Amino acid sequence: MPFSAQLAVVDGVAKVTLKGELDASVAGQFKETIEQAAAEKPRRLVLYFNELEFLASAGLRVLIFAKQKMGINVDIYVIGSQGPVLATLEMSGFHHSVYLQDTYGDD
Amino acid sequence: MEMEIAPVILPATLDALSRLGQYVKDASEKAGLDRQAAYNLRLAVDEIATNIIVHGYEEAGLTGDILVQGKLNDGEITIAVEDSGTPFDPLAKKLPTEEDLARPLEERPIGGLGIYLVLKGVDKFAYERSGNRNRNIFTMKRRLPGNGGN
Repeated sequence: MPFSAQLAVVDGVAKVTLKGELDASVAGQFKETIEQAAAEKPRRLVLYFNELEFLASAGLRVLIFAKQKMGINVDIYVIGSQGPVLATLEMSGFHHSVYLQDTYGDD
Repeated sequence: MEMEIAPVILPATLDALSRLGQYVKDASEKAGLDRQAAYNLRLAVDEIATNIIVHGYEEAGLTGDILVQGKLNDGEITIAVEDSGTPFDPLAKKLPTEEDLARPLEERPIGGLGIYLVLKGVDKFAYERSGNRNRNIFTMKRRLPGNGGN
């Protein structure tokens, strides 16, 4: 599945749905989506990982960028992460800094 | 018994990462790796190849290829990645500590995460420099029935 990152901003919550394989060749595309999201000054960033099949460190660095760009008061939620992608998030310590959930409240 | 998987030569560009990933996935399937082990191997090769492409070639103003070669024996699968970019020993890179990884995202150091994932993910990793070539070798144990599950 080709990589895609789709943004929707609903009631001040930036929701980004990621699909496919997120490696260095497409991390710039993800970063652009995060920049668009940041421009909306959201109060929260929700990332849907349900259909994300592969996550390299280039994608993790965009998560760090997101936090730095949006500010410490914007919490990041990662929804539906599972299997090896979830293991990568945990191995690299991201579970300390983002909320990992199976579903997001109002979906 | 050792079996060589036909090597592939890819251009050292980020667009080639998906073909590289497919090569590793196919090799892992031949080796009978489980889902997590196959993913870890693919991730490790992807991370090192990304470093080679970005730092070894592009930032150095060079163009070139990456040679990828898989081998299987009864106990292991190895993937060797060779390039003629600038010398780069991943094992010499400073890695994030457990303390770094537990820090809030806004305070985290950016560097070293990819190589950390490489070393955490594979059973063995080696780097060699020979002539003008870098050679990165990734090894995963095959947990086949009959070899004690180790």
